[in-house]
Amino acid sequence: MNHAIRTGLLVCGLGLASLLALAGFASAQPRPPAAMQETMDIGDEPGRVSSEEATITDGPYARQMVLFRSNEAPGTVVIHSAERFLYVVQGNGRALRYGIGVGREGFTWSGQVQVSRKAEWPDWRPPPEMLQRQPYLPRFMAGGPGNPMGARALYLGSTVFRIHGTNQPETIGQAISSGCFRLANGDIADLYDRVPIGTKVIIRHKTTL
Amino acid sequence: MIPRPDSRPIATRLSLITSACSLALPLLLAGCGGGESLPPIASGGAPGASAPAPANISRDALVGRWGVASFHTEKDRKRTEAEARSQCKQPYVIAKGSGDGVMMHVADDPKLYELRLKAGPGGKTYLGFEAPAGDPQDRELLSVKPKEFVARFVDPDANARYGTFIYSRCG
Repeated sequence: MNHAIRTGLLVCGLGLASLLALAGFASAQPRPPAAMQETMDIGDEPGRVSSEEATITDGPYARQMVLFRSNEAPGTVVIHSAERFLYVVQGNGRALRYGIGVGREGFTWSGQVQVSRKAEWPDWRPPPEMLQRQPYLPRFMAGGPGNPMGARALYLGSTVFRIHGTNQPETIGQAISSGCFRLANGDIADLYDRVPIGTKVIIRHKTTL
Repeated sequence: MIPRPDSRPIATRLSLITSACSLALPLLLAGCGGGESLPPIASGGAPGASAPAPANISRDALVGRWGVASFHTEKDRKRTEAEARSQCKQPYVIAKGSGDGVMMHVADDPKLYELRLKAGPGGKTYLGFEAPAGDPQDRELLSVKPKEFVARFVDPDANARYGTFIYSRCG
């Protein structure tokens, strides 16, 4: 190709490139397709919405009265993490059973505590590691329907763990939390009304016979 | 088959290139600059903008380190403001973009994007991608003060999930 033609093309190309760069420099980004399609991971529990009435109505995780052999006094809460069940001892070999979501591997624990505080529509502070994954989250979210703490919370002793509701009732029966125990909002509201402050809570990771 | 070499004189070929270039440049400008039907761009607005920049808010009002908190119901506004002020130990940092925008996130996406201020109908101000003001992925800026700005996502679902954000300037 002749040198003059090459020079002409180069000048034209540079002109176009400069204008393209200028256009890019002077304006905000066009909307990327990914930003339109991306959804939240189910395990990440940012502000989805679940109604206060959401309950588990079918299957083993539905709230139900069951046979339950225990020496604990009626009213005691017993959590079996491995089974994903929370029991409220009723006496006479029976207990009210709720399906729960529990801590993922490495976030399970056991022990005996008391309910130290109760809250309706509790506030939520995403932990730092969640903020790293989801930097668009507020550092504090006042209680409400988009709050992953759900409709109610029972605080367990002086620990950082709670029995709380969820904005993701589909996660009941799974092990994805950071050590808290979650119930569907309708179920935690039912439990909240049954369990006073001071209630004994026993957490067992493995079932004992 | 070997293509026939271009036998036209160099001057003619240069002229053709120049013509092509002169055709392409306005087309390119029209493609990213919009046509006559687009609203006028305020001073400082980008030539490629699809919405005018607001006259009363500059991006400098958003740049900085912010404590961020959100609420859903008005009764929680005051204590959410207090929470935002106390969140400077883990601030949300808004930097200038390489263009005339700021680097921020949109809802449900961990990537940073350059978003720009846009003037919308009714005197409203939006922050978002290069799209008409009030686009579903925009934020609406409800108020902007030197030490605090308040915003919410335009998308009703995102707004319901995350609520109204209060940004409190750190430092």
